[in-house]
This record gives sequence, C-alpha cells and structure tokens, in this order.
Amino acid sequence: MVPLEWYIGLSTVLFVIGVVGFLIRRNILIMLMSIELMLNSVNISLVAFSHYLQDLRGQVLVFFIITVAAAEAAIGLAILISLFRNKEAVHTDEMTEMKG
Amino acid sequence: MREALWVIPTLSYLGFVVLALYGRGLTPSRAAVVGVGTVGISALLVLALAIEFMTSPPPGHAYVQVLWQWMEVEGFRPPVSLRLDALSVIMMLVITGVGFLIHLYSAEFMRGEEGYSRFFAYMNLFVGSMLVLVLADNLLLLYLGWEGVGLCSYLLIGFWYRDPENGYAARKAFVVTRVGDTAFAIALFLIFTHLGTLDIQEAMQQAGRTWGADSGMAIAAAALLLGGAVGKSAQLPLQVWLPDAMAGPTPVSALIHAATMVTAGVYLIARTHVLFALAPPVMLAVAVIGAATLLLAGFSALTQWDIKRALAYSTISQIGYMFLALGVGAWSAALFHFMTHAFFKALLFLGAGAVIMNLHHEHDMGKMGGLRTQLPLTFWTFLIGASSLSALPVVTAGFYSKDLILHNVGTSESGSLWLWGAGVLGAFLTSLYSFRMVFLTFFGEAKGKASGKPGPLIRIPLVVLAFFSLVAGLVEMPSLFAYAGLDVHLFTRFLQTTLPGITASPLPLSVEIGRELIIEALQLGGILLAYMLFLYKPGIAGVVARTPWGEALQRLWRSGWGFDRVYSVFFIRPFVWIARVNREDAVDLPYVGMIWAGFKANRFLSRTQSGKVRWYAAGIGLGALVLLGIVVLL
Amino acid sequence: MNSADFIALLPLIVPALASVVLLLLITFSRSHAVSVLFTLGSLLLSFLLLFVAGGGTPRRVTPLFIMDAYSLFFIGLLFIAGIVVAVMSSRYLGERSMERGEYYVLLLLATLGASVLAAGSHFASFFAGLEILSVSLYTLIAYRRNDDRGNEAGLKYLILAAASSSFLLFGMALVYAQTGSMDFFQLAEGGRVPDLTVVLSAGLLLITVGVGFKLAVVPFHLWTPDVYEGAPAPVAAFIATSSKGAIFALLMRYFSLMDLQRFPAVWYGIAGIAVASMLIGNLLALRQNNLKRILAYSSIAHMGYLLVAVLAGGTVAKTAVGYYLAAYFATMLGAFGVIAFLSGEEGDAENLEAYRGMAWSRPWTAGVFVAMLLSLAGIPLTAGFIGKFYVVAAGAGAALWIPLIVLVAGSTIGLYYYLRIVAVLYGRVPEGEGGAVTGFPGRVLGMTGGILLTVLTFALLWLGVYPAPLIRILQATVARLVP
Repeated sequence: MVPLEWYIGLSTVLFVIGVVGFLIRRNILIMLMSIELMLNSVNISLVAFSHYLQDLRGQVLVFFIITVAAAEAAIGLAILISLFRNKEAVHTDEMTEMKG
Repeated sequence: MREALWVIPTLSYLGFVVLALYGRGLTPSRAAVVGVGTVGISALLVLALAIEFMTSPPPGHAYVQVLWQWMEVEGFRPPVSLRLDALSVIMMLVITGVGFLIHLYSAEFMRGEEGYSRFFAYMNLFVGSMLVLVLADNLLLLYLGWEGVGLCSYLLIGFWYRDPENGYAARKAFVVTRVGDTAFAIALFLIFTHLGTLDIQEAMQQAGRTWGADSGMAIAAAALLLGGAVGKSAQLPLQVWLPDAMAGPTPVSALIHAATMVTAGVYLIARTHVLFALAPPVMLAVAVIGAATLLLAGFSALTQWDIKRALAYSTISQIGYMFLALGVGAWSAALFHFMTHAFFKALLFLGAGAVIMNLHHEHDMGKMGGLRTQLPLTFWTFLIGASSLSALPVVTAGFYSKDLILHNVGTSESGSLWLWGAGVLGAFLTSLYSFRMVFLTFFGEAKGKASGKPGPLIRIPLVVLAFFSLVAGLVEMPSLFAYAGLDVHLFTRFLQTTLPGITASPLPLSVEIGRELIIEALQLGGILLAYMLFLYKPGIAGVVARTPWGEALQRLWRSGWGFDRVYSVFFIRPFVWIARVNREDAVDLPYVGMIWAGFKANRFLSRTQSGKVRWYAAGIGLGALVLLGIVVLL
Repeated sequence: MNSADFIALLPLIVPALASVVLLLLITFSRSHAVSVLFTLGSLLLSFLLLFVAGGGTPRRVTPLFIMDAYSLFFIGLLFIAGIVVAVMSSRYLGERSMERGEYYVLLLLATLGASVLAAGSHFASFFAGLEILSVSLYTLIAYRRNDDRGNEAGLKYLILAAASSSFLLFGMALVYAQTGSMDFFQLAEGGRVPDLTVVLSAGLLLITVGVGFKLAVVPFHLWTPDVYEGAPAPVAAFIATSSKGAIFALLMRYFSLMDLQRFPAVWYGIAGIAVASMLIGNLLALRQNNLKRILAYSSIAHMGYLLVAVLAGGTVAKTAVGYYLAAYFATMLGAFGVIAFLSGEEGDAENLEAYRGMAWSRPWTAGVFVAMLLSLAGIPLTAGFIGKFYVVAAGAGAALWIPLIVLVAGSTIGLYYYLRIVAVLYGRVPEGEGGAVTGFPGRVLGMTGGILLTVLTFALLWLGVYPAPLIRILQATVARLVP
C-alpha cells in the first residue's frame, strides 16, 4: 500500500504547480485550468485521507468539489465569451479598466 | 393625561424638523402656523397637565416617565426620563405660555424678514430644548437641553448674520457661557465618579449620605454648578455677554434673554438645592453674587441710551434678585420672581420691539419721546410692565415677588442686613431706571414719527402679558397682609413638595412695618426722582452728568463697569498674542506629519489597486504564505 | 429526516424551491412585476417561516445544518437584506432594457447560499453554501452583459474566488486529516481537537484565507473596489452585506466551537489581518473619488473592526458582532440604495463630484445619505455608534489594546473621507454654464426609493437612539451560541 505521505506530497506538489501557474500566466483560460489543478489536488488529498481514516465523508466532499468546479468553469467561460465579444481579449493584463 | 408628558417637548421638535426640512417650500403664513401652532398646542397640553397635577397630584407629588434606556454597558445606564413635579410644572407653564405669546408676536414682528421660516425653526428648537432642560430627570439629559438652548441662543443672536457685528455678539455669548458650561461639565464628571449616578434625585440623596454637610467635595461640586449657572444667567463675573446679545431680533431677546433661558441658572440651583444646602460657603457666594450683580447692573441700566441694552441690564439685575433669594435659601421666592419677571420683562421687550419697529429700527431713547399719544396701547402696556418692574405696591405682580425676596433676605438665618440693604438700594435703582425709560420714550416732545400702528398679533400678546404682569402676584401675599386677613401663600405651598420652605426667625411687627415703609419710600422715591430728572427738569441730569466725576461715572456705568475692557486686557489680548506668536509651533508638526503620512500611504496603497488580476492573486498567495509562516514561527 | 426536521429546515427549503419555480415561471411570463412580486413573496414567506421553525430549536437537521436561535437571527437578517436588495433591483432593472427574470432567480439562490452558511455546521454545507452564493454572484456581477466593466468585474471575482476556494478546500482537507471529522460539533465534543499540531493550525489558517477573501480583509481585499465598481449597485450592496454577513456568522460559530484562543498562530494571524484591514482599508479610501470604491474600502475597514470582536470572544463579543452586523447591513444597504436609485441608464451614480451641492436641491435624499455616512463613521445617535461602542467594549474587556488603538486611529481616518462626502453634498455649486444645475437633474428617488430609504434611515436612528430591543433580541439569540 502506498503510504499516506506520498499522497499528501503529490497533492501539495500539484497544488503548488497550480498556484504558480495561476500567478504567472496571463491567459484566462490557462488560469482557469490552473484552478482546476488546484481543486483536483485537493480532491486527491481528500480521497487519500478518506481512505486512510476509513471514513466516507471525505469522498462525498470530493463530489461536491467536482460539481462546483464544473459550474464555475462553465460560468467563467460564459463571462469570458461575453468579455471577448466586447474587447477581443483573453489576457488579464488587458482587463484593467478599473483601478486606483 | 400625565402619560402625554413626552409629547410636550416632542411637539416643538417636530415643528423644528418640519420647518428645517420644508421651510423653504412653505409660505410665510404656513411656516408661522407650524411654528406658533406647535408651541400653542404644547401650551394647552401643559395647562391641562398642570390643572391635573394640582387637582389630583401623583403619589409623592412627582411623576417620572422613563422613555427608554439609551444604552447599557457595564454599569453605565443613562436613562432618558422626564420628571413632572411642582418645579417643572411652573417652569413649563412659563416657557410654553410666554413662549406661545412671543411666537404669536413674532409672526407679525418678523413678517417680511429674510429667513422667516428659519427663525421659527430655531425658536421651536429652543422651546423644545428648554422643555427638555426643565423636564430632565438626570443631569446628562439636563446638560443636553442646556447645550441645546445655548446653541439656539447663538443661532438667534446671530440671526441677521450678514452683519459681522451680530456674528461677533453671537460668538461672544457662546464663548462666555462656554466658560460656565465647562464648569458645569466638570461638576457632572465629579458627581458621576463620586456618587456613581447622574439621576438628579438619587445624586441628591447620595450627596447627603456620602459627602455630608460642609464637606470639601460638596463645596467643590456646588461651586462648579454655580459656575455653570453664573454663565447661563449672566451673573458676575460672566454677565458681559447679555447686553451684546441684544443684537438678535427683539422676540428672541424677550423669550431667550429675558423670560426663559437666562433663568436656567436659577432653575439649576433650585433643582440641585439639596447639594447647595450642603455647602454654606457656596450659598453665601450665590447671595453675594446676586447682590453685587443687581447693584452693578442697576447702575449700568441707568445710563444706557439703547432701549434694549437698558432692558438687558435690567434683566441681569433682576436675575441678581433671584440669585440673592437662592443664596439665602428662599428657593420658592426665587421661582416666584422668575415667574413674574418672565411676564413683565417679556412685556417690556415686546413693547420696546413695537416701538422700535414703528420708529424704523430706532433703538436710541434719546431720539424717541412723546410716543404716548402715537402708540397708546404700547404706552399703557409698557407702563404696566415698568410699574411691575419697579414693584409698584399692591397693584403689580412685581411688588409681590420682590417683596417676598426682600422679606426672606431680611428674615432668613443665612440672610443679613447688608444683603437686605443691597436689595433695597437695588429696588430704588430699579424704579429710577424703569421710569427713566418710560419718560424718555413716551413723554416729552416727539422727536420721531411712528409709522403706523402695531397689528393684532402684536397687540394681543401685549395685553395678555400686561394682564399677567398685574395679577400674577396675587397668588402669594406678603406676610404683613396676613394681619389684614389675607393669608394667601398658594405659590410657596404648591412648591413645598419640591422645594423646602425657608427657616426664618420672625420679626416684630413694628420692624416689619418699618422695613416695608423704607422699601416703599425708596421705590416711589425712585419714580419721583426719575420724573424730576428726566421729565420735569431734564437740565439737572445734564448738569450732573457734565461734571468731571459725573462724566467718568457715567462712562464707567454705561460700559457695564468696564468688564469688557478688563477681560480684553487680561484674557483676550494675551491669548490672541500667544496664539499669534505660536502660530507655527512644533505642536502642529505631528499633526501635519500625520496628514502627510496618511496621504502618502494612500498614494502608495492606491498603487496596489492596479486592476491586474495577477497582482490581486499574488496578494492572496502572499497572504497565505505569511499566515503559514506564522504557524512555522510559533 | 422527519417532519420536525422538515419544519425546522423550511426557511431554507422555501427559497430553494422558489428559485426553481421562478425559473419555470419566467419561461411562461417574462413580466418584470411578476418576477419581483414572486421574489418578494417567497422571501417574506421564508422570513415568516423562521418564526415557525423557531419553535423546534435548537435542532440539528442532518449533520449539515444546525437550526438554533443564532442561525435563525442571521438568516432573518439575510432575508431582510434580500428583500431590500430585491426592492432596489426592481427599480434598477425596470429602467434598463435587459433580461430581468433570471436576475431574481440568482438573487434568490445567492440569499439561499448565504442562509446555508449561517446555518451550516459541517464542511460540506459550508462549501456548498459558499459556492451557491459565489456562483450566483459571478453572474449577478456580470449581469450587464454589454458593459465592459461588469464583465471585467465578474471575471476578476470568479477567478480570484475560485482560487481562494481551493485554498479553503485545502485547509479543510488538512483539518479533516488531523481530526477525522468535518462536523463542527464533533470537533467541539469529546475533545477531538488535538492540541496545536502544525498541520491543524495550517489548515485553519488556509480556511482563514478562503474566508478572508470573501470578507475582503487585507491582504485578500484587492478585488473589492473593482468588483463593487463593476457590479450593478444593488448587487454591490448584496456583496457588501449578505455575502459578508453570512460568512461572518459562520466564522464566528466555527471559531467559538473550536475555541480560537487555543490556537495562538491562528489568533495572531487574525489579529494581524484585523489590524491591517482597519488601517489599510481606511487609508485607501482617503482620496478616492468614486463612491462605490469608497464604500468598498470602507467595508474592508468595517470587517477589520468586526474581527476585533471575534478576537475578544465571549458573550459581549457575540452581542457586539450581532449588533454591528445589523447596523452595518442597514447602513450599507442605505448608502448603496441612494446610489442605486440615483443611477441612470448611462451608468451608476458613483462619481462624487456629481453629488456636489445636492443638499440644496434635494435635502431629503442628501439627508438620508448623510445619516448613512454618519453611521458608517460611528457618530453618536446612529446605529453605527452603538455597534462600534459594543465592539470597543468587547475588545476592552479582553484587553486587546493594540487592535483597539488601531480601531480608534482607523475611525479617525475614516471620519475624514465620510465627512468629505458630506462636505461635497453641502458644497457650493460652481457657477457657470446655465446656472446652478446640481447633480442628477431629473432623477428622483421615486415612491419605492423614498419609502425604502426612509425606512432604513429610521431603522438606523432608532437603533442608535433606542438600541435596547435589538440588544434583548441579540441576548436571546446570538449571545446564546454554544459554547
């Protein structure tokens, strides 16, 4: 059996990759993908903990997360399309109409 | 009926709110209806309440209406509650009754002035605050009313704000009374920290228990309260603001600076009389201040040419009588004089206002004269007011109240012959300056031409006030009258439930009759002298005034004994000088520095709001990192 | 789940059902009035059902929800806010040509999500409530589809909220790993909270990141002004009040169950956030000229003040939080209400200069606005003063001197920019082209706006002058939160 630490390690690494990607990329699509990565790293750790604790509740929460992630991605893309229609831009650095 | 107590001040405030918010949109007559109407309804309510109070008094002769608890945090529980007792009934009757008549008068007097609705808004605010002041059951609420009437006084003195001099007078009144208010505020802190309560009745009981008679704390608290009273009631040494306050419209002078607000100090001392009784030295100070003020102001009134200033000095002098009465423990005598004074002094001011209005805003009595025939109604009512002020025996109200004060000063254990003498001399001065005004204004040759006659809204208040100036005294007869079977003491009996009677040693009948004769002789002598000097042989006064001594004295008296000069030299100029020298001192630097740092920080932080999502995300990441860092460190 | 459970949960079931029914309803009738009335009706019904549900409290309904006096109070507050926002929106949308029905579906869902948070007692309901709220808000913010700023704000909020949710979830996973439970109450019972492990503290702090984002506290606040500016004014009002209030209710419950004082790292972390929010929030608003952004910065500072009460803990602190939130709701809704009702089709009435001299031409509107500003500044005789007074009392009771000093300093800075707005309202109108035309000619509050704002103003003054009834309610509800 794979020890728990390995799962925690994997999920932490994935989470950090997600955060870094989120911070350094400007394309909104890729930022959304990074967020998916972060959420999925949480899913991995939740499943692992759930298995380790012999407790199903962790896995139930994973289903919540997957559902919500799908909803968020859908709405994110919808708003992005609407923005793209007006501005023809998907780069975050071009979304600076409001500041100060 | 009693439950409607809260309605009385609320009505005036309601009038204020309506006039303040919608005053611009209202026609003058509607604004007047709102302003006069709210006070009128209040007056009727007060009358009904007073009748109920007299016929079926509440248990303990006091009714407390707790409206609500403002907040409650660990022991500090200031309730908003009103107290109805004999003292507040008398005060309310005068405030709303006289207040209504003056409002009615103003409706015509102020007609055509710019800011007509603003005037009524301020006046209503004043009446509301004054009612809160006298109804308050705890010192905090009383202080709120106290500051409220001060604010209205400031606003109304400076009502014609386009003239910078009026603004100066308003500021002067505000600053000088503020000196007293500060003492009052310190007294509140003292009472709260030492007695643990601001409830007046509770504090009075506590004071007796914790401090005891003649203790240092009681003297300090009473002295500080006296400071507040002296400022508000324009007594020595803070009397300088009242003559200048005449810059406001005449109805304001009548209501605020004669009948009601300036007597708030008298009310305060009467309300906290238990505390004052614990501090005999302060009581003596009250009496001495009263005696000194009534004499100094009496002399000053003698030399004024501006009719309103003469009346202002007369007010200071008459409040001096009230203080004198308070100082010897004759609480109800002070209140009695307050009541009669409110009637005749309001009458005199309103009469003076009618004269001024019909003489094209002429204030100088030297340029009046002979108005007896031109303004007969004003003349007769003014004459009644002046007679009442001079305490013309038996027929006027002023006679009964002044006689009660002088009688009490002469017989009280804490009174003395000196104080009595000062009061009697003051009575002589009073009739002298009162009839000087009458003769200069209404007799002699006509120097000005009156333009028209006052309308009904001015005539009605004059007549009603004249009526009360004559008969209001009949509720309390001098003790001498008891020998004639007229043992009437309704006023003191009524107040007995709130204000204890005086401890006096009775005098032999012969002494009493002798004293009475001296007083009457001097009063009538004053009128006679005024007739001689100002009507029969005006030359004599001129001759006396032109001698070097006469000239110097006259100048001194006219300037109110030079208090303004002294204050200017000792306080105002040094202060202005220090302020000017210190204009760019180091104390400012930290504040300027803080402002500078604030703006700098704002500019720096505003740059963090770059609008860039990545930067915002970095904020979240950084925050998470710092928080996790705390975990590692701890 | 038996019938008693069902009754207890009715206040949450009704808005959930209502949103579905409304979704069907608008396929038949796109009448704006029908949507508004349906929304108001269902929110009112839910509010009334709180009193029915109150009979069986406290009651755990499945491990996910706890219906006790505490949650009922906050749900009630959220429903009232929802009603106010719906009224505001009816006028706002009514004057603009856009799809309207869906807006109310989303508003109902957002209110539902917020209420789930207030009643949540489990990580799953926490997360579900949070996401129902957030996902509805993304769309509401970007509701004006042709408006660049609306889209930009919606996208910004979505990206950042999603990222902060993943921090929150990671924290939940860590806490779950350490305690083996997702149930708030199981954490409190039976001493299942292990003392002070690093991982547990880290998990709690990551949850704080997620919560902090929603509360918009420093350093997770950067999105706030942009989103407030881009969102329609009623939506901004909703974000400022319901969204934050619900999270705060949950935070307060969670931390008092966990006994925050036992985790010094978390405690200091929150103290740092509170201090930074009070200072930076107020400083940022200092020279701002956009009213919506000023209110955004002001809300950052206000959340900082509230966190001081959380740090203090105890009964007084709970009363303080309840009072402060009620006052803050009334005030913020009123302030945004003025903006919303004055906004025309060309854009929201957010430019401060447009308000210059408004007090002279329309004293009542300006008076309402001034009342709101004074309450935000915490001037006596307004609700804001009593709220702040209670927070300070709670903080002083727990001897939190440094946060209190910062609170006072922050309030002083705050005074500057609140009074600056008042000064503009009463300022002189510059002479020039065509005489004195002051801000918003032709715009009036109208019947709805007038009534709504009058009610809010009176509520504000009433709470400030006569706070005793609300305090009694709070002592019977919020203050009795276990433990």
